[in-house]
Amino acid sequence: MLTHSASDPMQDQFLIRGDAAAVQAARTAEVDLAVQRAFEEHLQPRFPEGMALLAVGGFGRRELFPYSDVDLVLLVRQEPHPGPERDALSAFLRTLWDQRLRLGHSVRTVADCCSLDDRNIELSISLLDQRFLTGDDQLYAELSAALPRFFHLRRQDLLNHLCRLTRVRHARYANTIHHLEPNVKETPGGLRDFQLVRWLSQLRSSQPYQMPVPSPFPELEPARALLSMLRCYLHYRAGRDSNLLTFDAQEEIARLPFISAAGFAEWMRDYYRGARLIRRAALHWMETSEPGGSALLAQFRDWRSRVSNSDFTVARDRVLLRQPGQASGPEYIKRLFLFIARHGIPPAADTRRRILDSLSSLEPLLNAGAGYWPFFKELLSLPHAGLALEAMHETGVLPLILPEWGGIDCLVVPDYYHRYTVDAHTLASISVLEELPAAPDPLRQRFAGLLEEVESRPLLLAAALMHDLGKAARSGNHVPESVRLAEAALTRLGASPEERRTVTFLVDRHMDISTALGSRDLEDPAVAKALASRCQTEERLKDLTLLTYADVSAVHPTAMTPWRLEQLWRAYLVTHEELTRELDADRITVPPSASYPPQLAAFLSGFPARYLRTHTEEQMMAHLALHQKALVDGVAVEIRREGGNYILWLATRDKPFLLASIAGALAGFGMNIRKAEAFSNRQGMVLDSFVFEDPSRTLELNPPELDRLRLTLERVLSGRLEVKRLLQNRPKPPAARRAHLHPSVTIDSEASPSATLIEVVAPDRPGLLYDLASAISSSGANIEVVLVDTEAHKAIDVFYVTSGGKKLSADQQSELKQRLLAACSPS
Amino acid sequence: MKKIEAIIQPFKLEDVKEALKNIGIDGMTVSEVRGHGRQKGHREVYRGQEYQVDLLPKVKLEMVVPDARLDEVVRCVVQAARTGKIGDGKIFVYEVAEAIRIRNEDRGDAAL
Repeated sequence: MLTHSASDPMQDQFLIRGDAAAVQAARTAEVDLAVQRAFEEHLQPRFPEGMALLAVGGFGRRELFPYSDVDLVLLVRQEPHPGPERDALSAFLRTLWDQRLRLGHSVRTVADCCSLDDRNIELSISLLDQRFLTGDDQLYAELSAALPRFFHLRRQDLLNHLCRLTRVRHARYANTIHHLEPNVKETPGGLRDFQLVRWLSQLRSSQPYQMPVPSPFPELEPARALLSMLRCYLHYRAGRDSNLLTFDAQEEIARLPFISAAGFAEWMRDYYRGARLIRRAALHWMETSEPGGSALLAQFRDWRSRVSNSDFTVARDRVLLRQPGQASGPEYIKRLFLFIARHGIPPAADTRRRILDSLSSLEPLLNAGAGYWPFFKELLSLPHAGLALEAMHETGVLPLILPEWGGIDCLVVPDYYHRYTVDAHTLASISVLEELPAAPDPLRQRFAGLLEEVESRPLLLAAALMHDLGKAARSGNHVPESVRLAEAALTRLGASPEERRTVTFLVDRHMDISTALGSRDLEDPAVAKALASRCQTEERLKDLTLLTYADVSAVHPTAMTPWRLEQLWRAYLVTHEELTRELDADRITVPPSASYPPQLAAFLSGFPARYLRTHTEEQMMAHLALHQKALVDGVAVEIRREGGNYILWLATRDKPFLLASIAGALAGFGMNIRKAEAFSNRQGMVLDSFVFEDPSRTLELNPPELDRLRLTLERVLSGRLEVKRLLQNRPKPPAARRAHLHPSVTIDSEASPSATLIEVVAPDRPGLLYDLASAISSSGANIEVVLVDTEAHKAIDVFYVTSGGKKLSADQQSELKQRLLAACSPS
Repeated sequence: MKKIEAIIQPFKLEDVKEALKNIGIDGMTVSEVRGHGRQKGHREVYRGQEYQVDLLPKVKLEMVVPDARLDEVVRCVVQAARTGKIGDGKIFVYEVAEAIRIRNEDRGDAAL
């Protein structure tokens, strides 16, 4: 903690009042005096005329911090000659160095000052803040007359240069203000950005005969004052030009008498809110100061402008509102963010400003996001959802729809591992997932493959958006609070119970895999078993693996090292293997709940344990009713529509070619099977469930066809109709959308104690499951358990098969593999 | 002074750090490394594709201790990192000629 200094009353005053402006004024006056005296002593005698001393940069603005560099321009009529003139210059500089001033100086003529040197444009920019200190006032008058014309003529070059330099600097800080330990000068939203706004305004208002002056920015003044106070404190604390606001410094500043916020996390929020205002202003001025850019870029931007519609115009790769008056309308705002998420084009500064201006009228209309789930879900399904969420965050719309977000807005949680505030980390985790498909390295491509296979991308991204909401409680373990807040938010938004279950499950277990990576031996089968038990199903394992990938990667840009990627992949593999193994081996032997009626317990006995994890008690009772009907009628079929798909449940007695028959009947009606599960119980009864889509909308446009399909299934299963006849007139399957996916068949005899596991990955097509199931059944093998999944173009089918009640022999495996590969590629 | 280099299982890192902290050793360098000794690699099959994992992930700890504390520190690392299985890792000990603290130029044990 910085304490009062016996030798520096200015520092003592500052520590009591926090008045940085007083420090800057006093420091500038002190340095002014020192520099003028040194000039009079060493340079004035040698240069009675022909030399003037100018203060530039922060010194020129009278904004010197305790240990800032002191920038000087020695304006000369001609270059000093070697010998006495140069010696006088050296003595002048040495005197100031001896007074421990960190000098930056350059010797220039008026012509030098009024020419643009690509290698030293900073000099031209520093002259925007020039101030005459002493020396030849006639020479200075010449510069004063020439400079306005120079700035006016070359303003666009200077504007471009400033914008380019700023973009490079912002990129160095990952384009975010939300660093946990920010540099109060250089980080986006820092003092340099404030100065950038002043310079840009100065140059934009330049006139040929008048030195440009910066516009006033009263709305940024409190933020500038806070940053100045921080920089002053950091200088005094370090005894040098140090601008890094470390955790230790944050805690110390929170205890200063002039800080009123309770705790450092609270006043750091003030810091980020101020930085956000400054960055927003900087981006606005940059956006309106830069020209179109290169011809190629302009052409690309022109191409992008073609996505403009009746609501929005795309100009210079930014979205503008066609009807600015509607910025306070919720539907218009929703369409704007969906547009951004669809096309990946950020809002223009003017668009952001208009939304910000409309926030107070938007707030009651958005109604804390009640009923906004369809909007949210659509947004999260689009390719640039992260950009849209960032824009919603930046414009203040996100906390109006998701008030729980307010708790983590600009929240600092001291952690030497994390680099960003909780909100920035959360948004980064979504961007990380979005960027995954474009990742070039093979290690990341494995995870990109998983992302393609997830059941619901919106639910995964919703979990990523909500996984750290509970950090606002600062209780040490944020997970239970995150689950509670996610449940409340999803209920208010209007998500279905199943969707809520999935998202809260993922939020609840988002730390499980990373915890195991750090403290468990992945070679130990018990660890894989424990992880499998936590993840429950392969689908959720994929989600949790990707959530872990996103969470770790968003900690800081280099957190996900190749080493960690390998570890995470290994954790995925061992858990996946365990889950696949237990699909057949882990069977229900005792009723999972004493409250289950005896009929249900008998029905469940012998089903894979997965059944319990993937079905609610309500679904189990419906299946039991179906099962009881099948015991009487031989077959029971139920088909219902859910979302864009149809769900078929079917109960019957197990027999050869059963799966192939059902798959064939569906294919014969032109249905495309997306998912399937087939379980058999101890009584030899089978419960199959299929999720299929109707690409030709046959069932929707011809409702009687649904009854015909049901009847056909019953006839096929009772042996009254041959599937082959149904398939005779089937249209040829379309070519695979992704021809580069080669079919693969993996056979594993070790995975299960009683059956051989066969995993087929192939390009999806109508009738694929029928062909695969037929190939297995016609080879004399029996399908014990089936798990079929389709993600985009890829079908992933897992079969557990036996032959004569035993595992397949090596010869049988080899023959079946050939048959399955042939079935994957229809001739 | 001795430099101790310990290659251990990644999941044992926290245990070893905690054990060292308990005997007053706070300073160390930790690196993510890959390698194998007798444990060798293994083959992984996923979706029909085989991956040969030759180099297994390990963690390398490096620390320099006064001669008098060498045995105690080595014993501490061994106890905390041991599972009894192949792949637990190895410890290497080197002589250190000098240690200098950059901030104030302390030398020898004082710099540790």
